[in-house]
Amino acid sequence: MIKLTNISKSFGRNQVLKSINLTVEKGQVVVILGPSGSGKTTLLRCVNYLEKPNDGEIMIGDYSLKCKHAAKKDIHALREKSAMVFQQYNLFKHKTALENVMEGLVIVKKLPREEARARSVALLKKVGLAGKLDAYPSQLSGGQQQRVGIARALALEPEVILFDEPTSALDPELVGEVLAVIRKIAKEGITMIVVTHEMSFARDVANHAVFMDGGIIVEEGPPAELFNRPREERTRQFLKRITPELNYHI
Amino acid sequence: MGAPFDFTFVLDFFPKLASTLGVTLFIVAGSLLVGMIVGIVIALPRLYRIPVLSTCSKVYVSFFRGTPILIQLFLFYYGLPEILQLVQLDLSKAHVLVFVILTYGLHTGAFMSEIIRASVTAVDRGQVEAAYALGMKGHQAFILIVAPQALGVAVPVFANTVIALLKDTSLAFTIGVMEMTGKAQTLGSITQHFIEAYIALAVIYLCISITLQKLLQLAELRLLKHELPDSRDDRGSRDSGDTEDNTARKTFRIQKKRIYTRTAGSMRTEKGGAKL
Repeated sequence: MIKLTNISKSFGRNQVLKSINLTVEKGQVVVILGPSGSGKTTLLRCVNYLEKPNDGEIMIGDYSLKCKHAAKKDIHALREKSAMVFQQYNLFKHKTALENVMEGLVIVKKLPREEARARSVALLKKVGLAGKLDAYPSQLSGGQQQRVGIARALALEPEVILFDEPTSALDPELVGEVLAVIRKIAKEGITMIVVTHEMSFARDVANHAVFMDGGIIVEEGPPAELFNRPREERTRQFLKRITPELNYHI
Repeated sequence: MGAPFDFTFVLDFFPKLASTLGVTLFIVAGSLLVGMIVGIVIALPRLYRIPVLSTCSKVYVSFFRGTPILIQLFLFYYGLPEILQLVQLDLSKAHVLVFVILTYGLHTGAFMSEIIRASVTAVDRGQVEAAYALGMKGHQAFILIVAPQALGVAVPVFANTVIALLKDTSLAFTIGVMEMTGKAQTLGSITQHFIEAYIALAVIYLCISITLQKLLQLAELRLLKHELPDSRDDRGSRDSGDTEDNTARKTFRIQKKRIYTRTAGSMRTEKGGAKL
């Protein structure tokens, strides 16, 4: 279970997150929606401390961290609980697909190379890249790179996988293959927090949807409800703009 | 002035000059070693933006970049012993090569620090974030992820610095070091065949330069192999084809990279930077 309590974050004078509270149950798939600048990516990056929150408390599994007095080793311990899939993939450019997936297992989890290798090969097979083990990121398409990114995150067997707009940098025709992989692992009961603009994906896959704007959570609830009967006016506006074909006045 | 031109002297001078090649290469190697260490030390404060120290680094770099190496050589050779005498340190017995390697080392260090800084900054921030997100510690991320990529970016510019250094060592003869240029001077005065000596000298420098260039080019191709298109890959074969000028295209692809242009652009032209 993941629990964020009173997370606040400012860049200079600009307060991006205003005392956010969010609970994610084990096995849940949570989507965070919202216009750009609403703080959703910052919130996600606070969970693994790529952004340092100014205040609040982060709890992942049995590990909890008070942001005000976080030491280096606490941050490190927190990061080991999660894995992240990036918008720009961020695969290690000088390593092959296989080495990218193995890296975390060998260096962080200290697995013997052989075991790490076997596990990585299995994961790459799972995301449909069995034939690309020795390809460098520059030799892969965006969709393939992102699937390696997902395999790399899965390899660590984290408590939660954080997806930061995983399909935003992709060509429209490659979005499908990545979403299919995320859908597949969502069904396996892996806890996920997904920041996305893919509304239909959010509706289908998520168990819980969160709408953010201006650094606060405006509304949250089951996706069917949030999409079909939004309670807040701001949510309604946003959904109308993003999915004009949706008719939520039933 | 001098004896009439005689080509046989050129051939005659080759082995004689080559006998001092060791001294030249020793200066190059020693300076590179000193330069590498100094470069890292100078680059670190600027990479980590340490307040006072990074200003010191800037001053250091601008001194060594902004004054002629010949003047630096004189300052260190004639000036340093004087200054150290004030603190009762006698350097009058020290070998002249110590001063030469010290000067060239500090000089090269200034350029090295710029190369290190430029190439480390050229590595995408996302690479470090990905490493942290995997749970790597700061030093692991630097050694395993940033450094290898930065090295690939640095090699082409590094190569030019090495070659510039090789050529700069010819100035060491001015303080009496018997390296290749000094030897050529001596041979010239003895035989009065100056031109022949300088022709032989130029040829030897050229040969070493080309050899170094080739070696470092190989290193570059190896370090940047992840940026090369894979010919088995459908995407790759479209770009590269299977003609014999494949290697040329690969090299071009590397040099096309923005990352390279950025690094090269931040260096001064005469030390291997590119005019942009």
